[in-house]
Amino acid sequence: MVFSSLTFIYLFLPLSLIFHYVTSNNLFRNLTLTIFSLVFYAWAEPMWIFLMIFTAMFDYSMALLVERWRGHIGSKIAVTLSVIVNIALLISYKYGGFIHDNLSYLFTLPFDRPTNSLPVGISFYTFMVISYIVDVYKGELKAQKNPLNFLMFISLFQHLVAGPIVRYKHISDQVDSRTVNWQTMSDGVSRFCLGLFKKVVIANVAGVLVKKYLDVGFDDLSSYEAWFGITMFSIQLYFDFSGYSDMAIGLAKLFGFHFDENFRHPYAAISVGDFYRRWHISLGKFFRDYVYIPLGGNRKFQLRNILIVWLLTGIWHGASWNFALWGFYFGCLMIFEKLMETYLAKTPRIIRHAYTLILIVFSRAIFYFTDFEKLKLFIANLFSSNNPIGAGFATDIFEHLFWFILVILFCIPWDEIYSNEDKIALNAQRFYTNAKPILNVVMLFLATLLLVNSTYNPFLYTRF
Amino acid sequence: MSNKLNTIFFFSLLFGIPLLYFILPEQKISVDEKRKLAIVPAFNYESYIKGAWADSVDSYVDDHFPFRTSMVNMAVELQSWKGIHLKEQEKIFVSQKPKVDKKKAEKDSTESEMNFLDEFEQAYSGSMLIINGSVYPMGAGSPAMSKHFSKMVSEYAEQLRGESRVFSAVAPLSSAFIPVEKYKHYNAQNKNTLKAIGASLSNGAIFCDVFDEMNKHAGEKMYFSTDHHWKPIGAYYAYVAFCKAAGFEPVPLTKMEKRTKYNFLGSLYQHTLDPSVKNNPDTMEYYIPKVTTTAVRYTPFGYNKQSKSSVFAHSASGGNTYSTFISGDAPMMRINTNVKNGKKAIVIKNSYGNAFVVYLISHYEEIWVVDFRYSKQNIIETIRNNKINDMIFAMGMYGAMSKGTINMMRNLGKQSGVYVPQKPSVSQSKDSTNVVPESSPTDTTTSN
Repeated sequence: MVFSSLTFIYLFLPLSLIFHYVTSNNLFRNLTLTIFSLVFYAWAEPMWIFLMIFTAMFDYSMALLVERWRGHIGSKIAVTLSVIVNIALLISYKYGGFIHDNLSYLFTLPFDRPTNSLPVGISFYTFMVISYIVDVYKGELKAQKNPLNFLMFISLFQHLVAGPIVRYKHISDQVDSRTVNWQTMSDGVSRFCLGLFKKVVIANVAGVLVKKYLDVGFDDLSSYEAWFGITMFSIQLYFDFSGYSDMAIGLAKLFGFHFDENFRHPYAAISVGDFYRRWHISLGKFFRDYVYIPLGGNRKFQLRNILIVWLLTGIWHGASWNFALWGFYFGCLMIFEKLMETYLAKTPRIIRHAYTLILIVFSRAIFYFTDFEKLKLFIANLFSSNNPIGAGFATDIFEHLFWFILVILFCIPWDEIYSNEDKIALNAQRFYTNAKPILNVVMLFLATLLLVNSTYNPFLYTRF
Repeated sequence: MSNKLNTIFFFSLLFGIPLLYFILPEQKISVDEKRKLAIVPAFNYESYIKGAWADSVDSYVDDHFPFRTSMVNMAVELQSWKGIHLKEQEKIFVSQKPKVDKKKAEKDSTESEMNFLDEFEQAYSGSMLIINGSVYPMGAGSPAMSKHFSKMVSEYAEQLRGESRVFSAVAPLSSAFIPVEKYKHYNAQNKNTLKAIGASLSNGAIFCDVFDEMNKHAGEKMYFSTDHHWKPIGAYYAYVAFCKAAGFEPVPLTKMEKRTKYNFLGSLYQHTLDPSVKNNPDTMEYYIPKVTTTAVRYTPFGYNKQSKSSVFAHSASGGNTYSTFISGDAPMMRINTNVKNGKKAIVIKNSYGNAFVVYLISHYEEIWVVDFRYSKQNIIETIRNNKINDMIFAMGMYGAMSKGTINMMRNLGKQSGVYVPQKPSVSQSKDSTNVVPESSPTDTTTSN
């Protein structure tokens, strides 16, 4: 199930809220939230639920052993075993086919290519359990004693499918008991409506243009259209993902959880490094804390560490070489920025911003095309296409003019431009406080309209 | 206060809308989408494990959303606020529908529906051009496929040699007549595809040069802007081409009664939901030959079940305006006329043929109309038992451009059907001798 579906918004969410708030008993709340989360997870592919429950229970047990054997070698063995098992599951279910394809170029393999589909959310919950067990091992947090509470933490529908990667230590107290008041409920409502609006009104509209320019006849594109198409994909990716994170954060608040921010106006970045401090923050922090720093961080082999982290980041996004290339591309850019740090610092801000945007938008091509032949052709079109501008390009621009303005307004980091004491900021804040009940209902209604419209499935001939 | 209001307003929608599912009467069909709406799915373990039950719940929630039709209309309006709409505009519409899962469709559909999906997929699941509110497919068929079609038609000509003449009258796509210079290549491509049919016909099968006849009138509006069919005037030019091939004198339009229907938003509007198309509704002028007719239509499996019908359904309106002709698609139909010349024809058609058939009533005493997508009747038997003189394949190009639909037409001559006219069984003989009841209705809407 996804948040931006009518089933979720108007069936699943009301029911889960009713069951959650029917009593203030925490055990009942955790139990019902776990059941609803498992139903949410099992909606599309029920079989994978057992893998997730196994992972949760295995790591729950390992964490208890880590704690029981603290100071002994057993503790290290338990944490190592846990990390190995989790990584092995991730590799076998997510990368099994990819590894088989590549090895079969070199050897005749005695086994067939795995044909399983990718278990939903495995990339996210694997990192969550790894961060949990490592934090328990490091003594930064106490292991959860109640298996139900731990299963609830792992399976929470708010973060399960597309993150953010929530650290247990950040919400451990909320797992045991939560309080909700009008303020948090209202914040949750606002955040959910904003996220839904971003996903449905911006990302989905961009998605239509992406399909048009990058899927259908992309080899006939002029350079203008190629850049337009890939820019639309950049918009779709950001608003899709950040919209989903907003909805997750908002839904968490409705149930009394507080998740950390996952996006902070990334397209306002002035360097590639800055961009990744604003984009998918929970993933960046995971790699920083559990890979980069243990490898030596800034202290030793920094450039090597950067490259390793970015190759892993790339591969995390998908089982295909284009993601590895994408990671390598960013690794190289990060190294370039490290080496040129002093020069870049002297470059005017606007130039740095433009440089960042161009490199980021270009990187989306590597991210989008899993087929290298198509990628090559597309990059050629980006820079040296002789194709004429196709029919309808001008119409598409005009027909989306107001929508482009909306996109730009949403990309601007208003809170960074105006400080809290600024008069404009105060007035805007006052206006928003008064208008938000209406604004949110309008956003929900508009998103619902478009979602209903997307269910419209006409046939040319009657099928009564 | 603002926080309370914010939460209460949101929860009112969140809990209010689900309540409406129970309060509002349940709809069974969607007229605009021309399909049945999902039904409440029954739970069973097997379908749950496969994820099918969840899909069905999603479909039910989607299909029965309160005030769904109004909301879709509002969404279309909302989409038009994204920017500025130029008066002169040209754009490409890309269908967002997921590709049809053939395996799933095979499981869910009958054979004829499956092949029909092929046709649908080819025609409208790709890109379409929208120019100043008129929708055009971006394609023109393929001469290679034309040969497959001609082979099938020629097989019938061989089988019916000496018994019936066999004609091919296939219409070009509207892409042939796009009034913009840079799309003129579609005209040549349509021509090549259709000429290839003529060039490959054998065994005495007769080619009706519909393209040439229509091309003489290329400046006229021969196709609807908002629907995938041709206009009655386009069908008339195809009829003229047929008359030339058949040796008939076409009845001039001036000798027919002209009627007009307005505000037709057809299938291509429903498919694109494009505001410029919505603002460009079609007007349909149609022509009624001065012939008195009676008509009956049959179920897919033959003659045994029949109902009254009519050559013109003048009351058809709105999205169903094209159903004016032969009252819309039926597996098989029989028309009797007061043209007492003893001549009989059978028309093998898809929906394009509907607007074509109505002109034939001036030339035949009896016309059988067979929709190859739905009929299970053996047409060779029908032709022989009824001593039919002319067999006419009349359809839009995509009917002739898919192996699936070509095979359906081929199977019409092989399938068993259920009609066995001379069996001595009392009940069957009674049915078969009363094919057209004595009291069958005269089409009162035609003028004498």
